[in-house]
Amino acid sequence: MSTRRGIRVLGMLAGVAAVGLCAVSWSQQAQEFLYGSGAKRPSEFHFTRLAYQGRNGVARGRRGSWLTDWPEAEEHLLGGVHRLTRIDAGEQGRAVSLMDEELFDYPWLYAVEVGYWYLDDTEAARMRDYLLRGGFLIVDDFHGSREWASFVDSMQRVFPDRPIVEIPQADPVMHVLYDLNERAQIPGLGAVLSGVTYEKDGTVPHWRGIYDDQGRLMVVIDFNMDMGDAWEHADTPYYPEKYTALAYRYAINYILYSMTH
Amino acid sequence: MFEWLFKYPRDEFTHGEFVFASTWPQWVPVAAFVVGAAAIAFFLLRRRQMGALKLAAIGALQLAMLALALFILWEPSLVVRSLKTGENAIAVMLDTSESMGFTEGEQTRMQQAQGALGSEAFGRLGKDYALRRFVFARDASATEDYSTLPAPGAETALAGSLLQVLRQARTSAVGAVVIVSDGGENAGTLDQEQLAEIASLGVPVHTIGVGRERAPEDLELQEVLAPERTLPGTTLSARVTVRHDGPGVARLKVYDGDKFLASREVTLPADGTVTTAFVDFGLQEPGFRDLNFSLDGKEGEAELRNNTRATVVEVPQAPSRILYVEGEPRWEYKFMRRALDDDTSVRLVSLLRVSPNGFYRQGIDDPKQLQEGFPTDAKDLFKYDALMIGNVQAAWFTPAQQQMIADFVSERGGSLMMLAGSSGLGDGGWGNTLVGELLPAQLSAEGGSFHRERGAVVVTARGSRSPMLRLSDDDAENTRLWSSLPEVADYQTLGALKPAANSLLNVKIGDRQQPLLVTQLYGRGRSWILATGGTWRWQMGLPVADQRHEAFWRQLARGLVADAPGRFELTARSRGDTVLLRAEFRDEAFKPQQGVTVTAVATPQSGEPLTVDLRPSADQPGVFEAEVPAAESGLFSVEALARRGDQTLATTRMAMRHESGRAEYFTVRQNRSLLEQLAQATGGRYWTVDQLDGLPEAIRYSAAGVTSQEIRALWNMPALFLLLMLLKAGEWLLRRRWSVV
Repeated sequence: MSTRRGIRVLGMLAGVAAVGLCAVSWSQQAQEFLYGSGAKRPSEFHFTRLAYQGRNGVARGRRGSWLTDWPEAEEHLLGGVHRLTRIDAGEQGRAVSLMDEELFDYPWLYAVEVGYWYLDDTEAARMRDYLLRGGFLIVDDFHGSREWASFVDSMQRVFPDRPIVEIPQADPVMHVLYDLNERAQIPGLGAVLSGVTYEKDGTVPHWRGIYDDQGRLMVVIDFNMDMGDAWEHADTPYYPEKYTALAYRYAINYILYSMTH
Repeated sequence: MFEWLFKYPRDEFTHGEFVFASTWPQWVPVAAFVVGAAAIAFFLLRRRQMGALKLAAIGALQLAMLALALFILWEPSLVVRSLKTGENAIAVMLDTSESMGFTEGEQTRMQQAQGALGSEAFGRLGKDYALRRFVFARDASATEDYSTLPAPGAETALAGSLLQVLRQARTSAVGAVVIVSDGGENAGTLDQEQLAEIASLGVPVHTIGVGRERAPEDLELQEVLAPERTLPGTTLSARVTVRHDGPGVARLKVYDGDKFLASREVTLPADGTVTTAFVDFGLQEPGFRDLNFSLDGKEGEAELRNNTRATVVEVPQAPSRILYVEGEPRWEYKFMRRALDDDTSVRLVSLLRVSPNGFYRQGIDDPKQLQEGFPTDAKDLFKYDALMIGNVQAAWFTPAQQQMIADFVSERGGSLMMLAGSSGLGDGGWGNTLVGELLPAQLSAEGGSFHRERGAVVVTARGSRSPMLRLSDDDAENTRLWSSLPEVADYQTLGALKPAANSLLNVKIGDRQQPLLVTQLYGRGRSWILATGGTWRWQMGLPVADQRHEAFWRQLARGLVADAPGRFELTARSRGDTVLLRAEFRDEAFKPQQGVTVTAVATPQSGEPLTVDLRPSADQPGVFEAEVPAAESGLFSVEALARRGDQTLATTRMAMRHESGRAEYFTVRQNRSLLEQLAQATGGRYWTVDQLDGLPEAIRYSAAGVTSQEIRALWNMPALFLLLMLLKAGEWLLRRRWSVV
């Protein structure tokens, strides 16, 4: 028993050490992402990726789920933003975590794979403050009831009293530049290769949101969709162009809405 | 003594013209002086053993004697023009306004004036000239004598009355005018133009001041200046001027009708007699607000009626409209819109270029509004009260649209605000355009003036007094609130400010500062530059509950629209027992219109409404005027209607506080400086009631009226011979002392 107990203790210690190492790894990745490559031209708009930690600080995947589709997703999308709008957008994406001092310099955030995110009370309060001051958040690439529940768990810490609602078709976010009357499910590459447009039990796409007291969207929730993949694989021959085109349009509307409302 | 030395009175020298009576050619005395000087030099050089200093002293005295002798030989004379006795009249004007009834010591001002008129000086005047007597308050009228006076006038129009008398006197020989008054001009008739007209008539005006010049026990609310119009909830700043003759602290209170609005202490310094202060307050309810300003009385202050003033401020119900044209989506646009969203007084209509081919419009009234982009017709643009142009190149606007923008400011009277941006201001090519001319700063044409660097915002001294930049009523708190704001995200460098421009905010980059919020008047409107597009960081960088970003934009937006005139403007001004109405009507493009008639219904607070037709102004197109009798004090409201034939073009309303008969309470002190200014401008003099002996002599040398010319020889003045003797005696004494006789 004593040997088993010893092994258990060692296992627990190893687990704690692994969590710590993952945290260090996550932080290093964030720093590398932020400052690693060349000078960044200051611009009006920056595609800003939200760097978050998973539950218990454990990052999912090799780099952490927050970096999914990076950097091709933003690079491709920003090319479209440059081409199709008059926004002075930075050529590269940026990343910021909720506890960074620079958070409030970036009024537009993109969070991916939020089925795996976890916001503790401090981070949730920070996110709430960010959104109420006028910040805008888009969450994307999470699928099925389990990931939804995980997302909502953190989101309810941000806004315990604000409901998550379906965005009505008449909302300006659906019309600010493009009239987005087509509500097609935008699939990830994996789903496309499998011949479907959904993942897990997320067969029905939802465009949901959280509104402020003045009726302005603060959070856009792309549920059961993977727009990040659609941007990332704009140059992938076997990814359907129609989904990329639609994902570009949604993204541009989201950005323009966030800069006008 | 003067007359003994110089033979003639001082006034003759003051008014006479100096000449030489000798008929010899002018070169003769010059030649005689040169020859004499050479002779003196020749004889003195023969005694060079005296030394240079002694020779110079003797030489100087001899040269002075030579010059004086030649001066006497050339018969210096004085040409004096003086009024012919028996052939001229003197106009005497006695102030009979209500303030002349003030008692000072044992006598009223009127009794002091009567004493002056009965003095020996006036007796002498009466012997030499015909005295034409007038009384005046609002108007002047002739009178036979001053034994019976008219009822005290409720207003003093000193300049207007004087002009009346002078115009009447044009046909006769009036040598001078003598005004006996306390100088309490309160009809607003004495401006520089009228003073110049009075002076141009060439008749000297002598003024005799009655009444005390200081009243230490009295406080007077001399002036209140408040905007005529403000938006609901805006902080107003009224400038008050207090007249006082001693140090102290006065408490000023402001009421809207019976409702208390604000109060503040005004410190009155010992070394001044006029103190200016500002009082801030807000008005919430729409309508014409009847504001009362009052100073608490000093201990022992008898005249409290001059401690209060009233004014009317309009708080319009309909929102003012701002058109905001933005060249690209940016955060400043979003956060400015949000700041103004809850302000029901200002409606922000925006035209945003979101894509190369697309606009996004917000705040529009109907789907067709701005559908084709920026207006191409003046009447569509001039519907707005202010125009904001963001990050847009000048070339995006056609020359006609640029002209329209310039007219929007100069003709329509709107405000134009240009914002910073990589395609804005100088970098957008605005520097060499019509619009650039009206902006308050020069714009660089070299490019690269927009910097995405952070800078701290600093309020300038002028900015700290501007109501639109007040974040707190308390000065110290206001400074703290500004200095603790997050830095702005960017700024744009400007060239030199235009001469009439003021910077209200600066941005501090490192150790240097540059203008950030600049403004100037231009034509009927005002132009502004906000040289940043990064105030949004105040919103994102501060807690949600902090309202400084919202307050800044709301107050700035209200400031932009507050003074924009409408198409049909009505103003009124009290003048004694009348109200002067002035209406200005313009068409949708704000051009004056022909063939328009304007009718007004004027309703006093108590009394029957009166309908009057306003007559077109002879020299100002589009302007109509009328004079309405108003015997009763109180709120006076007017509704006007502009028509062409049977077609009603527009209606407008206004209200004012008419104070009939109160003006004279504000004349507790004699206005000596005004009386002196009047006398000085016309060649007359100011006199006090107890020192009038020199008045007849001063009047005698008037150039107006029928005059005679006399030549007074000066060569035999005792002063000249005394000087000659002194020079000679001086030389003799020096020679004796130096033993060189």
